[in-house]
Amino acid sequence: MMEILITEQSHCNLVSISGRIDSYSAPQIQRVLNSIIENEQHNIIIDLQDVNFLSSSGILTFVKAQRELKQQNKGKLVFVNVSDLVLSNFRIAGFDTIFDFYGDLTSAKERF
Amino acid sequence: MITKTFSASYKNLALISKFIVDIAVDAGFTSSDVYAIQTAIDEACSNIIDHAYGKEDIGDIEITVQESDDNLEIILVDQGEPFEPDEIPEPDITSPLELRKERGLGIFFMRKLMDKVSFEFSETKGNILTLVKHKES
Repeated sequence: MMEILITEQSHCNLVSISGRIDSYSAPQIQRVLNSIIENEQHNIIIDLQDVNFLSSSGILTFVKAQRELKQQNKGKLVFVNVSDLVLSNFRIAGFDTIFDFYGDLTSAKERF
Repeated sequence: MITKTFSASYKNLALISKFIVDIAVDAGFTSSDVYAIQTAIDEACSNIIDHAYGKEDIGDIEITVQESDDNLEIILVDQGEPFEPDEIPEPDITSPLELRKERGLGIFFMRKLMDKVSFEFSETKGNILTLVKHKES
């Protein structure tokens, strides 16, 4: 079962996700990201530390949010604490080139 | 050989994953190969729901797993619309964000992650998708 925790930081929103991201849970993440962007929050850090699986439908959810931010020319969605296995699925389809990945939260927050 | 049938719903993807992961771990695959198999099966099942059945809870996905000394063979059977893999263009994974296409990613993942991916259609059985992962020698 997936859980999402949203924490407002000084210059960004931290979205911590735990569990499995697949076609069942991805729409829930999509709604959360849409809501953040609609509220004029454009700097988003996604923490995947406790995510044990990420399918292409999950990746596409983040791609859509990143595309929306780019179209608005505001902010960015970045990742923190991504395991090698989860990162491998970003790499397979070349999605690692359209996101920034940080090893820890401090480094990710400095981006904003 | 083990065969298990699941209702084709997104909610069952986690159950299907657990079923496959347990077998792959017992078969001695490395953690990265187990993850690859898990991803390929998830993509296959999502495709069956999205494209063969068109939506959730229309039919079943029958999954048969056969382990040999050299590989793990996973066969997924559904009774949805005949699937034509050749009609799905391969995604351009180097295109910029604005031009990224969503269609075809599932098959792309399956082909990248598994050693053999084959589709066939039987008038009596339906779509038969066979995925094979070799064991490391």
